[in-house]
Amino acid sequence: MTVTFLSDDVMSRLQAVATWPNFDGLRYTIIDEIGRGGMGAVYRGLDDVLGREVAIKVSNGVPGAELERRLNDEARILATLEHPGIVPVHDVGRLADGRLFYVMKRVRGATLPEHLAGVTSLSEKLGIFERVCDAVNFAHAHGVVHRDLKPDNIMIGEFGEVLVMDWGIAQTAGSGDRDIVLGTRGFMAPEQERAESTDARADVYSLGAVLSWLCGGSGAPRPLGAISARAMAAEPSSRYSTALALSSDVARFRAGHAVDAHRESLLERTGRFARTYRTAIILVAAYLVMRILAAYFSGARS
Amino acid sequence: MASAFPPTRHSVIERLRKDDAAERSAAFGDLVEGYWQPVYKHLRATWRMTPEDAQDLTQAFFSDAFQKAWLEKYEPGKARFRTFVRVCVDRFAMNSRQASGRAKRGGDIRLVSLDFDRAEQEVRALALSAPADAEDFFRHEFVRSLFGRAVTEARAEMERTGRLVHFRLFERYDLDPDDHTSYAALAAEFGLTESQVTNYLSLVRRTFRAHALIALRGLCGTDDEYRREARELFGLEIE
Amino acid sequence: MNKPLLGLVLGGILGVFDGLTALVSAPETAPQIVGIVIGSTFKGLLAGVLIGWFANKVHSLPAGLIVGLAIGAFFAYLVAAMPTPDGKHYYWEIVLPGSVLGLIVGYATQTYAGPSVARS
Repeated sequence: MTVTFLSDDVMSRLQAVATWPNFDGLRYTIIDEIGRGGMGAVYRGLDDVLGREVAIKVSNGVPGAELERRLNDEARILATLEHPGIVPVHDVGRLADGRLFYVMKRVRGATLPEHLAGVTSLSEKLGIFERVCDAVNFAHAHGVVHRDLKPDNIMIGEFGEVLVMDWGIAQTAGSGDRDIVLGTRGFMAPEQERAESTDARADVYSLGAVLSWLCGGSGAPRPLGAISARAMAAEPSSRYSTALALSSDVARFRAGHAVDAHRESLLERTGRFARTYRTAIILVAAYLVMRILAAYFSGARS
Repeated sequence: MASAFPPTRHSVIERLRKDDAAERSAAFGDLVEGYWQPVYKHLRATWRMTPEDAQDLTQAFFSDAFQKAWLEKYEPGKARFRTFVRVCVDRFAMNSRQASGRAKRGGDIRLVSLDFDRAEQEVRALALSAPADAEDFFRHEFVRSLFGRAVTEARAEMERTGRLVHFRLFERYDLDPDDHTSYAALAAEFGLTESQVTNYLSLVRRTFRAHALIALRGLCGTDDEYRREARELFGLEIE
Repeated sequence: MNKPLLGLVLGGILGVFDGLTALVSAPETAPQIVGIVIGSTFKGLLAGVLIGWFANKVHSLPAGLIVGLAIGAFFAYLVAAMPTPDGKHYYWEIVLPGSVLGLIVGYATQTYAGPSVARS
């Protein structure tokens, strides 16, 4: 038998294809792999019944294992959170090999870091951030803490919709993974790193880290630096108490108002006023100059 | 069509230990088919042998193994069968070097036709250099050979069942890494709907996978080893 | 506040202010200041409501600024065309600041006010 020669690239492709789950007997067909993480892999699939593309997350774990419990929890949490900023779940099921999977809306778009490659406006970045806060605040209102907020877990859809993704280690009120460190360093609250109990303020910390990342860290305007510093306070009690409070402070900055997190000097206040009403000030100044010139020429003529 | 799970097939060791000479010979033929390419490339890359020496030694290795039946001495508790084969090759190569400095073609037994010219073309195409880890390299080449056979089998099955278009799609989308085409573009090109492209590709991938599993089953030393290999290669938990 | 209303209010306030500045720029007009302020206010109200109406129809800052400038200049010209009792014309002294006032109202109506809401 002549064996087909496979280059290293084709080998990589086939090795990936070989690990795709078998959906025989189910209404879904895998199209391609979207991503792979510790808990499972996410595939682009086709819902054969409705003829629409979906995203399917398949557990890496065997039935009954911890990973499967987490995937199940994630699906249930997403099903609870009906919000434009949170991906809806359509279905949950089991493969022939016993692995759990859930089906969700397929989001076409880019991750926040990819999207921001073409965005320079600070105001637009902050607008995205406020919408992330909206979704997170909604989850908090339903007793869910995300616990892994970071730029890679935020997606911007084709039509500008902002979605908070990957609720795999989210925690509902009363549940939790004490003694296990889960999350992403650099965006994780100190109490989360110490595997202590966490609440919504752990997400406020992560949001502060995302804000700092968005604004370019130390290069951020002082009020924004102060907002992220307050959100990222080591003590949870020193942070904004809710994602909404954090979002509101950012919105105040965006509107050109003073922010809660920063007491500004007279010079800063004057500068902010001048920036906010720059055009109006220029126009009034132009009018006054005209008037002075008019008075001068009128005097000279008479 | 091949199903997602392969039919029951005995391990290579069980088949090699059969009293029936014909069955034993067939089992050995399967083993050679699955291992000769990794063995040849291992000798070329790790042992830095010339093509001629590597060809002679590969042939000699399998002939000697068949005549003296030393692959049947495999002990599952010590290592995977694949590792055992690689260690045997290393010992054989070392002994051959010490004995004459050039390996001799062992016996006259030609179990299967080994297309060394083609294997050498692959060696050149891959520009193989001395691997840092011989075991990883051997495994990689073993998988390449396994997948190559599975692709060939999948093509044959698609031709047999009148589904050549299915295989053409597979060739374009999965076997041509330079062709960054999309399902929509393939659908337009082949006069199909995107759903059909999705389903046709899915069928060929399942067939490829099933043949790879069947071949793997015949190349593992034990059932446990097969389960482990299947889990690592296909993410499958096989009962 | 909707755009025509903002234009009206702002135009009126600026009209009063603009009229009063005559006391500084042309002190000899002090005896006629009441008439000047009333005329300036009326001019401001009319220009303001027109600029606001335009801002309600066209949401574009550059267009709002150009139209504001043009309307401000036009009404200021009409005022400047009327001679003072001593027969003088103050074209530049009236048209230039009047144009800038039109710009200010154009900017404000495009930037700060909301659209007017249709009521059933």
